[in-house]
Amino acid sequence: MSKKVLLVDDAPILRLLLKDILEKNGYEVVAECSNGNEAVAKFKELRPDLVTLDIIMPEKTGLEALGEILKIDPNARIIMVTAIEDRESLMKALRSGANDYILKPFEEGRVISAVKGTLDE
Amino acid sequence: MAINKALKFVAQLSIDKASQALSRFIRVGAKIEMDDIYMADISEITGKLSAESDEVVGAFIDLGGDVKFKFLFFVNAQDSCLLADLILRRPVGTTTTYDQYTSSAVQEIANILSCGIASVFTSDFQLGITISPPTVIHDFVGTVFLEYFMSIAVEQNEVMMIETTFKIVQQNINCHMFIIPDSKTEKVLSYISNTL
Repeated sequence: MSKKVLLVDDAPILRLLLKDILEKNGYEVVAECSNGNEAVAKFKELRPDLVTLDIIMPEKTGLEALGEILKIDPNARIIMVTAIEDRESLMKALRSGANDYILKPFEEGRVISAVKGTLDE
Repeated sequence: MAINKALKFVAQLSIDKASQALSRFIRVGAKIEMDDIYMADISEITGKLSAESDEVVGAFIDLGGDVKFKFLFFVNAQDSCLLADLILRRPVGTTTTYDQYTSSAVQEIANILSCGIASVFTSDFQLGITISPPTVIHDFVGTVFLEYFMSIAVEQNEVMMIETTFKIVQQNINCHMFIIPDSKTEKVLSYISNTL
């Protein structure tokens, strides 16, 4: 059975890019969210195997959503998505419990190795 | 505030970082050039720009923390379709009308550019910077500028404008980026430039 992924990014164009990569590699994208509030609600409802979480988003940031999702399920598998130069937020996320990260622009190989590695942990 | 050679160097460094980040993002060469850096009277420049009637897609971002900037990126509405195709790795010309993906392409490019600029201050000068989510606006260029200046005008009469244009290789896309530091940040920039 294919693993279920929840995509969280405020940019529809990046959700589309990431969805294409994941579906091409056999993963099922169960829902897409455009902010941290939606992400927490969808996580509670769907309990996906993996969440990809953008850091800079309106309403609730990826860092805030990360903390709330880990409170709901401390074993949640979460990969942070960030822009190339946003290292500070990325380090905060990894220290707060994110499993891995992928950088924009997406490299298909790196996305799949992060997803596989995180799900195999 | 005086625009000295060192300040121009800091601005150029920021623009070069943004240029590199953009090229990596769209996977084709992008060259951003600093057209001008100058002090401008807000009422004068607003009056001049409000007469412009080209339809554009723009994104505003607030950079905060140790230094504060108002960032604006905009592109002709038709060219935003080309940017969407480049990001989605589709043949250029596939997207023909403005939709959520063209808006999102502008939003994401603004994000990448502002992160590139922020990295100069975080990595090279060890300053802390926060980046707001972008606000995207699709309107006439004059209206976009009015929105951009609105939050600054109440605090300052004069602003430092860092004005750029850039070309994307093989595509004739003209994009524009403006960066306006707030008055306290001008002092920080002045200090940084004097230490160089």
